[in-house]
Amino acid sequence: MINWGAPIWIYLWLAGMAGGAYFVAFLDDLFTRGGSRQLVRWATVLGIPLAVIGVILLVIDLGHPIRFWHLLVAFRVLSPMSLGSWILLVWVGIAVIMTILWWSEQPLALMASEGTVRSARRATRFLSWFELIFSVLVMAYTGVLLATSNLPLWAGTVLLPSLFVASAASTGVALLIITSVTANTIDKGELKLAIGLVKMRFGLTKLKSAINLLFNPTEWTIPRQTVARLAEVDVGVILVEIAALIGYAIWLGNSAMAGAGEALKVVTTGALAAPFWVGVVLLAMLIPLVLDVTSRAKDIETRAFQRAIVTSSVCVILGGLILRAVIVIGGQM
Amino acid sequence: MAKAMLVDVSKCIGCRSCQVACKQWHDLPAVSTKQEGTYENPPELSASTWTKIEFKEFGEDGTFRWLFRKHQCMHCTEASCVEVCPTGAVAHHDEFVEINQEWCIGCGYCVTACPFGAVHREPPKGTARKCVFCIDRVTNGLEPACAKACPTGAIQFGERADLVEAAHRRVQTLIAEGYSNAVLYGENELGGLGYLYVLTDRPSVFNLPENPEVATSMVSAQWFSGIGTAVLLAAVSFWLFFKRKKRIEAIQQSKTEGGAEE
Repeated sequence: MINWGAPIWIYLWLAGMAGGAYFVAFLDDLFTRGGSRQLVRWATVLGIPLAVIGVILLVIDLGHPIRFWHLLVAFRVLSPMSLGSWILLVWVGIAVIMTILWWSEQPLALMASEGTVRSARRATRFLSWFELIFSVLVMAYTGVLLATSNLPLWAGTVLLPSLFVASAASTGVALLIITSVTANTIDKGELKLAIGLVKMRFGLTKLKSAINLLFNPTEWTIPRQTVARLAEVDVGVILVEIAALIGYAIWLGNSAMAGAGEALKVVTTGALAAPFWVGVVLLAMLIPLVLDVTSRAKDIETRAFQRAIVTSSVCVILGGLILRAVIVIGGQM
Repeated sequence: MAKAMLVDVSKCIGCRSCQVACKQWHDLPAVSTKQEGTYENPPELSASTWTKIEFKEFGEDGTFRWLFRKHQCMHCTEASCVEVCPTGAVAHHDEFVEINQEWCIGCGYCVTACPFGAVHREPPKGTARKCVFCIDRVTNGLEPACAKACPTGAIQFGERADLVEAAHRRVQTLIAEGYSNAVLYGENELGGLGYLYVLTDRPSVFNLPENPEVATSMVSAQWFSGIGTAVLLAAVSFWLFFKRKKRIEAIQQSKTEGGAEE
């Protein structure tokens, strides 16, 4: 009987994507000198449900779900699960506070003095740096959790956290691209999801006003240039991810830990070879890499460009899920 | 004085009395199994099987050899399960590693951390369960149920220091009898195990890790690897990328300006 099943790998994927999206959005905003405020806002707001769904999955997977609070009356620095619970709690907590601060910007501007508005902004700015640190910890924790064990596929090297962080950032970029494209189409009054597979026109004005009420996005449209820049950033992230995967495989193949070689073979030539080569290597890395690089030649205003980068993002997100599944299942075989 | 158990595999006949005694004393349910072409049964430890005899069969040059080893929680001094437990439910009580069944949330982390595969988490209880060193018997002056049931003296309970001494003597005897690889396992592994083994061959032959490590031995390096990669991403995928982008834009701008001059 397998100890850690689907809830765990889905959770690791969700938490990584949430942390990665914030990490990427914050850095893009930082390097464009405040040019991507809306992106940070979307990443923060989207991170809350992703993390909450992940935590619900974790709690369901416990042998005694009702005892989950035992995690929050202990602090054990050597146990990545204990640290991770606190990291996630702080991360979601800051995201909620930041969202509330944004949400209260307009009412504050009407009711309070300019000084109060300014200090609220400064608090958000301060918290956003704090949230950056915690987003890094969230991404790293998903790998460290597995690596602190005695299963060779997880603990035979120290590069599993590295691979998971790179994958988390990549899925984060992908989530931001899909969100941007979707937000732009919602703003235009029609929702054309992903590659044009699903075309929907339903109470969009209601959806818009609901999102406006909840998240108060001051600007809906994310500039095409931002979306194109994210696709370019993704190339760099995927290259780091490929390097991490190669390093991880070589190290594991030469690891002194008993059973490390066999563990690697389970993934590369054994029972999980198909999901590994197709799902991880092709879907998560090579296909998006080719799509992102070739899309650079296209005019960013065209439908073809959008279709290429959205397809690439869908591949990255699915591939990220398969990577978590292969590692979590393979480690226990 | 620390108590311990000594398993002498050269005296084990594979009768599995210890398995039955363990199930009876702890009121553990039987497991439904299939005939797999071996006398070894059940095939693995589980939440309701806390000890079992592992059978290894060797056929060499027309001869046949059986190796038996009792498998259960080793009650390590440097215990991975204690280190990784997020709630503190797994802890040492004197030299014994015990899981507080009222406090365990059933996360399964100790199951992945154990170097010996001795902890399991399965329904219906949902908590992590394993050999408890018969702490109820031991604290009342009795020996553990498996040791009591063993008909050949292959499982001995006693003062650790005495058992270590006896084990060293036994290993010397075995070497003299021709078991050149005979070795004492558990004296120093992971700070000393609560279970000592007199083995007739190398530990790996008996499915024991030659150099077991605590699961948390590399935990700082693992954190460093994850956080370091995030820093690398920030430097390569962002800092360098934006620097290059700015340079390209500057070149393009100077080109268009140059074009205007001409």
